[in-house]
This record gives sequence, C-alpha cells and structure tokens, in this order.
Amino acid sequence: MSRNAVEWKQTPSFPESHYVDTRIYTEEDIFLDEQRKIFNKCWIIACHESEIPNAYDYRTFSHPGGPPLIVIRGEDMKVRTFYNICPHRGNTLLYEPVGNAKRITCIFHAWSFNATGDCIDISRGKEGYQDRFGCKDAGLREVKTELGFGGFVWVNVDDESCTLREYIGEAMGMLDEHLDQPLEVFHYHKAVVNTNYKLWHDTNSEFYHDYMHYFNRITGMIQPGYFDRKYTGYPNGHASVGSMAIKYDAYEGSKARGVGWPGLAPGGWVLIDIFPGMTYNLRTSVLRMDTAIPLGPNKLLIEFRGLGLKSDTPEQRAERIRDHNMIWGPFGRNLHEDLLGVHGQGLAMRERTDSRWVIHGREENMTIHDEGGMRHFYAEWSRRMGRKAYDPYGEQAVAVK
Amino acid sequence: MDTRTAITELIHRSGLIMDERDFKGYLDLCAPDYQYRITAYSPEIRKDMTWLEHDKAGMKSLFENLHRHNSDKSPISRHINVCLVDIDESAEEASVTSTIEVFRTTLDGGETELFAVGKLYDKVTLGHDGPALRSRNVRLDTRLLGYGYHIPF
Ligand code: FES
Ligand SMILES: [Fe+2]
Repeated sequence: MSRNAVEWKQTPSFPESHYVDTRIYTEEDIFLDEQRKIFNKCWIIACHESEIPNAYDYRTFSHPGGPPLIVIRGEDMKVRTFYNICPHRGNTLLYEPVGNAKRITCIFHAWSFNATGDCIDISRGKEGYQDRFGCKDAGLREVKTELGFGGFVWVNVDDESCTLREYIGEAMGMLDEHLDQPLEVFHYHKAVVNTNYKLWHDTNSEFYHDYMHYFNRITGMIQPGYFDRKYTGYPNGHASVGSMAIKYDAYEGSKARGVGWPGLAPGGWVLIDIFPGMTYNLRTSVLRMDTAIPLGPNKLLIEFRGLGLKSDTPEQRAERIRDHNMIWGPFGRNLHEDLLGVHGQGLAMRERTDSRWVIHGREENMTIHDEGGMRHFYAEWSRRMGRKAYDPYGEQAVAVK
Repeated sequence: MDTRTAITELIHRSGLIMDERDFKGYLDLCAPDYQYRITAYSPEIRKDMTWLEHDKAGMKSLFENLHRHNSDKSPISRHINVCLVDIDESAEEASVTSTIEVFRTTLDGGETELFAVGKLYDKVTLGHDGPALRSRNVRLDTRLLGYGYHIPF
C-alpha cells in the first residue's frame, strides 16, 4: 500500500540503530559539525609513500576538515606534513599536486621554508621587522603524520589525537598478512559527485547492492563462500568484510591462473572500511583505496587509487592494471554503477526533497547482505557527533515529553 | 576517393557510428587485429595510466554486455578533427592524429556539457578493401569524469 504524508514521515518500525534521518546527509550545520568533530579528529589518508619516493618530493592534499596540506619527504627520508598556507599573507605555498622542493619559496614575497617546516628566509626581514619578528616566529604549521597499513601516509590535524596504530586497532587484521610487501600506486583518478560522503562509504560497507552489478548478481552470488562472508565491526567505527573460511592452501593448484596477490586465494576478496571514509578493497590482483573527501553536505570528491606490488615485472603490472580497470576504472563495469547509485541518492535526498529516512534494517547474522556494517558506522558517527543519526536534532525525545 | 580522404572519412565515421551506438558498424571499421586503449597521464602520481584496453573480441564482448549494466543513458557526441595523416605506402599503413571533444547531453532538458577532451592516435591499415582501423589510443587530457560512462569514446 502506498503511504500518505503522515505515514511517510512516521519513524520506521525498527530499533533506532536500524535507520537514520536523511537530514544527516543534507544539512550544512551538520556538515560543519562533522568537519570539526570527525574529520579534524580522525586519521585520514593523504597519499601513498610511493608517490613521494625521493628526498624533498612533495604531494599536496585537500584535507576534508578544511586545511590544504603539503606532504613532503625530508632529507632524512621522514615524511612530514604542513599546512599549505604561507604564514605571511596566507598565500598557497605549493601550487602543483606533486613535485620536488628542497626549498619552498612563496611566490608572493619570497619567504622560504625547508622540508622540516622551518622558515629559513624572510626577504628584507631585518629592514621591515627589525628585531620584532623573524624566521623563528614564522614556521609552518605541522600536522601529525604516520606511515602504515600498506605504506599509506596518514595525517591527523588534531595534535592531541591517539596514534595511528591505536586508531586502527585490530581493524586491519584481515589484510595485515597481505600488505607486508612494498606497494606502488599505478592508478589515480578523482570523481566529484553531488552526494554525501557517508553514502559513498555506505556503498563500500554493504554488499547487498551486488544486485546493482550484473556480474556480481549473476555469477558472484552463486560462488561458494559468497554468503559465508561476514562483517566484523571494530572500535572507532571500522569494519571488515571477508571470509575466514577460504584459505589460500585450498587453491594451491590454481596458482598459475593469474598474477594474484600474496596470500590471497584466487577469488578471495577482503574489504576494510576505515572510519570516516577510507576503504581498502583487495580483490584478485589489485588493492584499491578510496578516500572520501566531502566538499559540502551534498558534494563529494573521491580519490581512487589502484596499487600493485613494487616488485612487479612489467607483465605482472599490466595484468593488475587490466584487472583493475575492467571493474574499477573510470570506464569499468562496477565503478560507474556505484557512482550512479550515490549520485541518485544525492538527487533524491538533497535539501527539501521531503526524503525522510534511510533504513539499515537487514539482519542476517552479520553475513554479506546484513546491513550491520552501516549500523556500526552510524553508531560511531553518533558517538563522535553527540547527535543521534536517527534523530540528529533531538526532536524525538521532545516529542515524547 | 584518394587515400588521405578515405582515411580521414574512416576516422570521422568511427566517431559518428559510435555516437549512433551502432557497435557492429564500428567493429566493421576495425581490422581483425584491432587494439583499443584509453590512456591518460596522471601528474599526481607522475605515471601513464591505461584506463581501458581491449582487442577486437574484447570490444565486442564489452558492447554485448552494455545492456546488462545500469548506465547513464545520456547520449554523447564525439567531435573529431583529423589533424595529421602520415601515410606509409610501403607498409600499407597510416598514422593519424586527431583531436577529440566529447559532449554529453542530458535526456531531461537536453543540456549539453563538455565531458572530455583529448587526442586520438590511430593506426590505419590500407588494404584493397579500403582503410581499416588497426589500433586506437584515446589519449585523454580530461581525467575528472564525474560518475563516468560505460561506453568507450
Ligand atoms: S604571502 Fe607568502 S611571502 Fe607573502
Ligand atoms: Fe559496488
């Protein structure tokens, strides 16, 4: 039966953990709150170490909390991160996405900085500032930086944050053994979609949408082990999906089928969602990394990376590239569908469309079509935001009184 | 028709026929050993990337599967301008460089947006039955393609 206006708005008959209010995807004040309470508190992937292999190599990154960043490798080969903001009159210091800079000189008035963030020259400093201000007062703002979990460069703009290792906890357990060799990024592209970042992370947190992908639906769902895959939730809102049952040994004989991935069974698939918007997706011969960078409540930039082993021969690399792009490239089968899905959600749930609820109600013992992965995310979201995802403005409590 | 004109027409025809989604017609323009690629350079990771790579059979199966996917149905229009035609008579082959702009037009309202720009690097074989496409490298400048597209350019 179709529903009238009142029925449409009625709270779903699920436990509160099993649905969310769609205003968490559309409201500007909630988005600003997320930047402050989530993105500026959590560890975020800025790039991969293979993108800055040499001393003084740098990479710029637009942090989802707001600050533009420079990730730069020092002479000591240590990777550090700074605001890409000149302390003088606020100019952008490095304009290109990547490069090599032994000395970072602002184009505006030529103040210079080194790869450890010290100001090393202020043009005509003495003449203008006498002894009132000097290089020691003009260092760059440094941002906490750690490398790990596949060689990614993680940053945290909160000086008081826990360590990366504490933040991740046990969440990377299913991938640990697959990430012990040096990796290299071979694919990079961005997409901008008018949607909320959480909807993309949701798509990466549920496999029920295999119904959207023809080959996943027709062949994937009938593979042995498909319905054995389980979600596991970890502290800080991370979740993994994979099957403990399928082990490489069982497939020893079929090793020759393709280039594969160290320790991963052919047909194996491990997916790990890191709160608030990063996804490790290891399948066949490729590791894919998505980084969700919200630009507004209904505008999302996603960075897509494909990675292989640094030790790849050209033939192995070519095979990984083919495996990656057939499914996940910009013209790949699945990526366009996944993006079309969240684009459609953005269209239907943008402000004032009278959308009301999103249901995360499936319970299947936390197996592949259970929506527990998303529930786990929103529990953490609610905790960090001090708002309930099902009632972000505290209206339900008021209504009860 | 002279060889140069026939080659130029072949390149333009390949775009028009794809705009019509006449995929069989497109494959008929291709030699049996046809190789298709979409490539781009990423300044961000300082690497050449191959975004799609298929031989003729691979293209055929890509086309045959299109109707099974959920896709953006907006039509696209490939504007190709053949710039350079280098004919090697002895090898019965030509190398052709063209510029390409791809426009996308929405179904609802018909708004047109520029989708992508790049170049086509084609190899054309010159047989008795007229020129045929032997390989195509769609070299894209544009890398930000929004939610993307299923049909190659
Ligand atoms: S703004 Fe950078 S030196 Fe003046
Ligand atoms: Fe998907």
